[in-house]
Amino acid sequence: MLTLIVFLPLVGAIVCALLPKDRPEWPRWVAAAFSAVDLALVCWVVYRFVPGAGRQFAEVVPWVPQFHITYSVAVDGLSLPMLVLSALLTFLAVIASWKIDKKPAFYFSMLLLLQVGMNGVFLALDFVLFYAFWELVLVPMYFLIAQWGGARREYAAMKFFLYTLFGSVFMLVGIATLYLKTNTFDMVKLSVLGGLLPADLQWWLFLLFFLGFAVKVPIWPLHTWLPDAHVEAPTAASAILAGVLLKMGIYGFLRVSLPILPHAFHQWQWFLAVLAMISIVYGAAVAFAQTDLKKLVAYSSVSHMGFAMLGIAAGTAIGINGAIAVAFSHGLIAGMMFLMVGQVYDRAHTREISQLSGLAGQMPVIAGLLTFASIASVGMPGLSGFVGEFLSLLGAWVSALPHWIVIVSALGVLLGAAYLLWMIQRVVLGQPSYIIADCPDATVREVFVVAPLVILIIAIGLDWSLLLQFTDPVARVLAKVVGG
Amino acid sequence: MLVLGALWAIFAERLPGGDRGSAWVGAGLALAAGVVAWIEPATRRGPFDGLLAFDGPARFARIAVALLAAVWLLWTAGRGEGRLREGVALSLFSVVGCMFMAEARELVTLLLSFELATLPAYVLIGYRRNDVRGLEGAIKYFLLSMLTTLVMLYGFSFLYGLTGSTRYASMDLRAAGMLGIVGLLMALVGMFAKLSAAPFHYWAPDAYSGSTPWAVAFVSTVPKVAGAVAIVRFVSALAPGIPAVGSVIAIVAFASMVLGNLAALTQTDLRRLMAYSGVAHSGYLLIGVAALSTAGYAAAVLYSVAYAIPSMAIMLVAAEEGPLVADFGGMGQRRTASSWGVVVLLLSLIGVPPMIGFFGKFGLIVAGQQRGLTILVITAVAMSVVSAGYYLRVVRGMFFGETPAGARELKRNAPAAIAFGLAVLATVVLGVALGPVSAAIGTFIR
Repeated sequence: MLTLIVFLPLVGAIVCALLPKDRPEWPRWVAAAFSAVDLALVCWVVYRFVPGAGRQFAEVVPWVPQFHITYSVAVDGLSLPMLVLSALLTFLAVIASWKIDKKPAFYFSMLLLLQVGMNGVFLALDFVLFYAFWELVLVPMYFLIAQWGGARREYAAMKFFLYTLFGSVFMLVGIATLYLKTNTFDMVKLSVLGGLLPADLQWWLFLLFFLGFAVKVPIWPLHTWLPDAHVEAPTAASAILAGVLLKMGIYGFLRVSLPILPHAFHQWQWFLAVLAMISIVYGAAVAFAQTDLKKLVAYSSVSHMGFAMLGIAAGTAIGINGAIAVAFSHGLIAGMMFLMVGQVYDRAHTREISQLSGLAGQMPVIAGLLTFASIASVGMPGLSGFVGEFLSLLGAWVSALPHWIVIVSALGVLLGAAYLLWMIQRVVLGQPSYIIADCPDATVREVFVVAPLVILIIAIGLDWSLLLQFTDPVARVLAKVVGG
Repeated sequence: MLVLGALWAIFAERLPGGDRGSAWVGAGLALAAGVVAWIEPATRRGPFDGLLAFDGPARFARIAVALLAAVWLLWTAGRGEGRLREGVALSLFSVVGCMFMAEARELVTLLLSFELATLPAYVLIGYRRNDVRGLEGAIKYFLLSMLTTLVMLYGFSFLYGLTGSTRYASMDLRAAGMLGIVGLLMALVGMFAKLSAAPFHYWAPDAYSGSTPWAVAFVSTVPKVAGAVAIVRFVSALAPGIPAVGSVIAIVAFASMVLGNLAALTQTDLRRLMAYSGVAHSGYLLIGVAALSTAGYAAAVLYSVAYAIPSMAIMLVAAEEGPLVADFGGMGQRRTASSWGVVVLLLSLIGVPPMIGFFGKFGLIVAGQQRGLTILVITAVAMSVVSAGYYLRVVRGMFFGETPAGARELKRNAPAAIAFGLAVLATVVLGVALGPVSAAIGTFIR
């Protein structure tokens, strides 16, 4: 079942690539079909998943017996929300890219290949397999940015690739070292064996994994690839990048760093929290200064991921719940933000905030949805953004972390509200600028693309347990391991 | 095995069926040799009174060398131009030499097989007689190679003098002291030069860039596999007496990785780029040797093949498209499938899973970490990122670059396409099927 979920998009990617070139409208249908089936399978897994019953749907096959490498996948309360994000956003990305006319076969096969990597990362329980999927993600994303991106796309794609490769090779050294000390690549076994390693070794291992994950999250000061990649990437790729790829870093911390290296986590806790705090405030402050709509959203991602990191650094059950909730809801909200910005850009052909104004007058639906996404991003109670931020801050408050970190971080929420509302004021309200004169409002397809996100954002915001019933058991176990 | 080897050469020279015909026969025989080597099980005791070893690594190297040569000859049969029969004969002689080189466990045999493997290579490098740069490259290669071989020979004489034997099995350097180290190091110089490891790499960029990509595809890959097995066999047999050798190899590995990768960054000629990246890959490989452990030796042998397959295939594409990085420009438009093949090969060289290059590198990392060579390991992974920089330049050129003016229109060519396809397939399949592959290498006998 899970294997099918992982590799079905691969089949789709191959089919897309092999489609005849003179039929440019076929690939999108194939991609939509494959990603829809994949999403359906994921929904079925969610439906059959028993919250709190640990790992489920496990599939284990020996791969390289000499080195104890296995093909091992399973889903638990941590991976399930991520898997949903991956499947949902890929499907929506395909629909959002309906109008791609430049090499559609290539484009859609890259999107599907990307999904193989993302699904795999969240499901793999063998380190070598995990790493394989982790790296697999880089290749299609490189091509998506470099082929369909903006003006500086090749630079941005290269920077993205090299930056994340730089992080992940150190993770590879960490994986090798762990293997030498414990003789296994099995992440489940390691979560027991890893804790028995000497503390100073754990510290070094934590550093190696930190480099891999922190680049991905990204945590200040390793975030500089993100604005470039986001701004240059095509709309759908931006949505997936923000919605899923960043979560791979959060997921990595929760799947690897905390359970396997609990002692090191205590030594690093402070450091993580301070970096998280800086990310929150720095991301928000820099977002203030942006004149490009997409860049503003990109920096707000840095800020929001800071909240997830703060929840992780707290090490308490509440905090970890919060971290997963931030990750999940940011996936929805940032995905939606980028899709909306993309829709605005498609019409106005500019993302300069100063040149856009009065969207509400010219295209009320788009303006409304953009406003909705922004308000959700601010962390308005009743919407999903609030859940994670609140729990992260609360988790950090009750943890051993000093209170001033939490207070400064909470200021980030205020900053977030300020720059987003200011953006709304400048872009949505006011007299319609000449640039958006004659621009049509959202089409049915464009509304359909964000509708599932809107529904989920509201549903989770109103009924927290929708998400927390899955994450809470995992969060409790993790918190117990790290003694939070 | 050996008879077959001899037969190839005779066939290749006498065959009346034209140049491509001889390449076909050569490819067929190389394939047959590979299959024979595959079927033939590894035995503890080799022929010729133990002068040769028929152990797991030797078998693995024989298979690899023969199949690589078969791929190369298959391509030659499809796309080769001009007078080929000498090229075919030379390459086959070299293959025989390579096989002996991988098997030799005695100093004189090693030296002879070294020469048998590389003498044809000099000629291949200078294959175009009228090309001054080719001749320059060949002569540089020849002189430097001779020099290092003589140093190696001098080292051999020390070792013989100290131990009274030329056989690995009865050589014991434990009591030899300083002189033993000197001898061993001098012997290693020759092998480092074969692997084009820094600081004995100077011949490679000039020799390659003076030559045709077609010749480079052979010279830069097949002898390297054999060279890797030879150095591993040599070190695994003699180093236990002198642990200091490990640190020397580690220094060479470090220098090769850093120098090779940084020098490759700025190259615009693909042959020079691959020459320098070859230096770097030798550096990675030497980590396994420097680890002085069974796991390290096996990883080094695996890595030599992980390097050789994509390198050969990329040079063969260069032989079709042109030797400059710019010549690959716009290939994504013209030859989409081949471009994706090249992407897979380059990713394998960077070390992205699930290609063989990743598992090769991972094995080296594990072996290095196991023996506490953390600095080497960190250097290796950091330099992999640097290497991604220049390999991606090729990818970028293929997909986002312009087709250079005056690019030749290539006809479809089945043998060449099959040869290339096999190489691409091998990089993926060998990676996914790592279990059987690494079982095949086994351990070295002394």
